[in-house]
Amino acid sequence: MYPDRKTIRRRRALFGGLVLASVALLTVWFGEPMGGVLHTLQRGAQEVLSPIQTGASRALKPVRDAFAWTGDTVKAKGENERLRAEVGRLRRDLASTQTTYRDAEQLAGFAAIARRDTFPAGTQPITARVIARSPTVWWSSVQINRGSGDGIRVDQPVITGDGLAGKVVATTGGTATVRLITDERSSVSAQVMPTGADGIVRPKVGNPNDLLLDFVEKGSRVKQGQTVVTSGFSATGGLESLFPRGIPIGRVKKIDRSELDIYQTLHLEPFAELKRMDFVQVLTAARAGERAEVATP
Amino acid sequence: MIPNRQAVVRVGVLLVAAVLLQVSAVAQIAVFGGTADLIPIAVAASALYGGSVAGAAAGFAAGLVLDLALGMSLGGSSLVLTGVGYGVGRFAELRDVSHGLLPIAVAAAATAIYDLAYGAVTFMLGLEATVSALVLREMLVGMLLNAVLALPLFAFVRRVVRPVLREDLAARRRRGRPREAGPIGLRGLEV
Repeated sequence: MYPDRKTIRRRRALFGGLVLASVALLTVWFGEPMGGVLHTLQRGAQEVLSPIQTGASRALKPVRDAFAWTGDTVKAKGENERLRAEVGRLRRDLASTQTTYRDAEQLAGFAAIARRDTFPAGTQPITARVIARSPTVWWSSVQINRGSGDGIRVDQPVITGDGLAGKVVATTGGTATVRLITDERSSVSAQVMPTGADGIVRPKVGNPNDLLLDFVEKGSRVKQGQTVVTSGFSATGGLESLFPRGIPIGRVKKIDRSELDIYQTLHLEPFAELKRMDFVQVLTAARAGERAEVATP
Repeated sequence: MIPNRQAVVRVGVLLVAAVLLQVSAVAQIAVFGGTADLIPIAVAASALYGGSVAGAAAGFAAGLVLDLALGMSLGGSSLVLTGVGYGVGRFAELRDVSHGLLPIAVAAAATAIYDLAYGAVTFMLGLEATVSALVLREMLVGMLLNAVLALPLFAFVRRVVRPVLREDLAARRRRGRPREAGPIGLRGLEV
């Protein structure tokens, strides 16, 4: 059964009437003052509906919270990933900054150590980066990124910005192996300043933070906290130290005096942080006449 | 649908509930940056099952309640929703609406038309708002959410409205146009 013309007209009239009513409402609502009929009616309706809205809002709060929780969880997951990425980036930045700072600090150390009055002059240092370390806990040797092609030769002394590190024991064209003063085969002729007591610095194997200064005469008035430097020993017959005089080695932290021994042994805290050094300097021209190390194999 | 008192009451309660639910809860639940809107769905469903007259009346009433409840410019929502209801109702009267997934398309279209038309009305009323990509995204998300909600909500509205329908549109359409009488004046004898 299809609608007749009357029904169609009535339908269209209703639609048109509702549209006109809407337009009329809009016109009146915009035209009248705030105290007008429609505004008053609206305020009244809001007063009537507001308790219902409040009740509905309270009643539906758990539903809203459930949706919000789900949304927050999804959002938090995405945010977590974003923050993780940001943390990773910031960590990389921090690591880069800290590395740069540390490098600068160590390189500044070289300048500082070279300015010391006691430091040997004219040593022509070559700065090198530590590229490998011996995997043992003894910290016996490291490899540096300079070699014979850069003028580095076997037996040249190696320092950090804090003090003596070791000596070169092998070279290739672009790398060199440095035996550290904590290696069991290392021994360095040294002198306690300012008393001038001589001795031989040897490692206490297994404890890289403790060096021993042996063969110090008992009569020497050595005190804790005094500085020990290379003595640059030179003897008749061509025997001379590989290390020039005046390179700081460490500080006296303990003195062992045994009644039976004719020498006293000093425990030193090395200046060089051998575990953490990233840069070293190879002294390629130690001054002649100031070498006095006991020969090492 | 031929309006009767019971139908008016049922649809009226349905629309008021939809408006209250919308302003009290649904509008505060943001999903992917947009919110669902129950009102165009309720109007479209009423129109789909009740026809253009019921749709236009439902749209006008829902818009009026919405404007009154929210203190918006009175008549703006009514104007738009009247058009939405009438359009969906006419569609239901002229086309086959028996397909099960039709509510999804109807809800999406009704929501999109409602959003765009309300935006146009607001613009014409002098509200100088910038149509940014964010607004368009919210509209799109709202349309998709309404499409998702369409099937259960249309089923609910149908359940509420159908018992009071005096005449089922689908059944009326199924009956089809009365066939012309045969030359001897008897229907069914196309001789």
